[in-house]
Amino acid sequence: MLEDATPEMSLLELLDRLNDQLCEQGEEPIAFESDCREGVCGACGVTVNGTPHGPVPNTPSCRQHLRAFGGITKLRIEPLRSAAFPVVRDLVVDRSALDRVIRAGGHVDVMAGTAPDADDMLIGHADAEVALDFAACIGCGACVAACPNGAAHLFAGAKLAHLAMLPHGKVERTRRARAVVETLDEFGPCSSYGECVEVCPAGLPLTAVAAVHREGLRAIFKGK
Amino acid sequence: MAVTGLLFVGFVVVHLFGNLKVFAGADAFDHYAAWLREVGYPLLPKQSVLWALRIVLGLSVLAHIGAAVTLWWRARKARGRHRRRLGGAESQLAGFMLPGGLVIALFILFHLSDLTIGGPGASASFRHPDPNVHAYANLVASFSRPLVACFYSASMLLLAAHIFHGWRTLLQDFGATGARLRRVWVILGGLIALAVVAGNASIPLLVLAGVIS
Repeated sequence: MLEDATPEMSLLELLDRLNDQLCEQGEEPIAFESDCREGVCGACGVTVNGTPHGPVPNTPSCRQHLRAFGGITKLRIEPLRSAAFPVVRDLVVDRSALDRVIRAGGHVDVMAGTAPDADDMLIGHADAEVALDFAACIGCGACVAACPNGAAHLFAGAKLAHLAMLPHGKVERTRRARAVVETLDEFGPCSSYGECVEVCPAGLPLTAVAAVHREGLRAIFKGK
Repeated sequence: MAVTGLLFVGFVVVHLFGNLKVFAGADAFDHYAAWLREVGYPLLPKQSVLWALRIVLGLSVLAHIGAAVTLWWRARKARGRHRRRLGGAESQLAGFMLPGGLVIALFILFHLSDLTIGGPGASASFRHPDPNVHAYANLVASFSRPLVACFYSASMLLLAAHIFHGWRTLLQDFGATGARLRRVWVILGGLIALAVVAGNASIPLLVLAGVIS
């Protein structure tokens, strides 16, 4: 029970305050992850009253403010729930399953040479915008936790769709698709519940899921 | 899942067109039913196309159910011990695919027994082709039973919901990322679902109301 919670507090500040109170009482503080606290890094992530990140849609835990909770005063805060995210301690989960997806193909590994002239490789504005929209993923894992199937298609699709549109990323497109699709076996299948897009702090669209299958099918027909 | 699902949507649409012949009268409906038994004749033996379709659809049903069970099992393992609360209508529809699909499977068994095989659940006056087909009379006799008519109509609502969500998921599974295609596809799915309800579910109700007799 916290008596001095104020509307301007964020969820993490509420946990900070709770931990202060626990320490004052000589008890162990509750472990939770956070870093930038401005919705950029993707380190934070807890489940609040059954919803990953909290009651405000498309907002990371650190940007969930009590003033936006609409009179909810009783919070049940749990770690992100998924078989792929084993709980390390209290609210801290091990999200290295996501790292394995990134290691498999969420990066560009080509000899790019020295910095070329800015107009050497032209990218249409619309393409650049779409690629950047997919690149907005902060890798928090809320999509996996929100999914009734425990699928990571939104996350993986964001990487595939983003990198497939840009010149350097295109070089490894087929290899990347195969590697990423293989790592998705660790997660569940997508059944288009759409729960992931409700919680995604980057506001990724369900199109990212289609990108997983587009890239996967393309890799099958591409041969080598 | 997606390939067999697409096949079923195609089948349901063709089946719907056939069903609509009921509005053209008993002769047109029976004539169509008789034609189904000899499509391709004389190039192909009578009933060969019918049986080929039956075999393909039967195997597809098994594959569809097998895939559904596999996906359910994989999802259950990946989700972990904690159940998720489902949010919006789309999510509810997705969650209803498996139970809804089971009811549809039961409906198909009943439908075959009722109007094709003449087994358990068929009306007392059911008649096999001898060689004249009695499809129209069998249909009217079956749908004159209020419980059966309601079951048929309710199943069509379930089927429409199943198709609506399945159609939307097809788009994902075939990797369609274009914004315009996605919009058009969802509208098309809605129209197919609507046609299934408006066309198929209306027939038992119209028989009950005495419009089709």
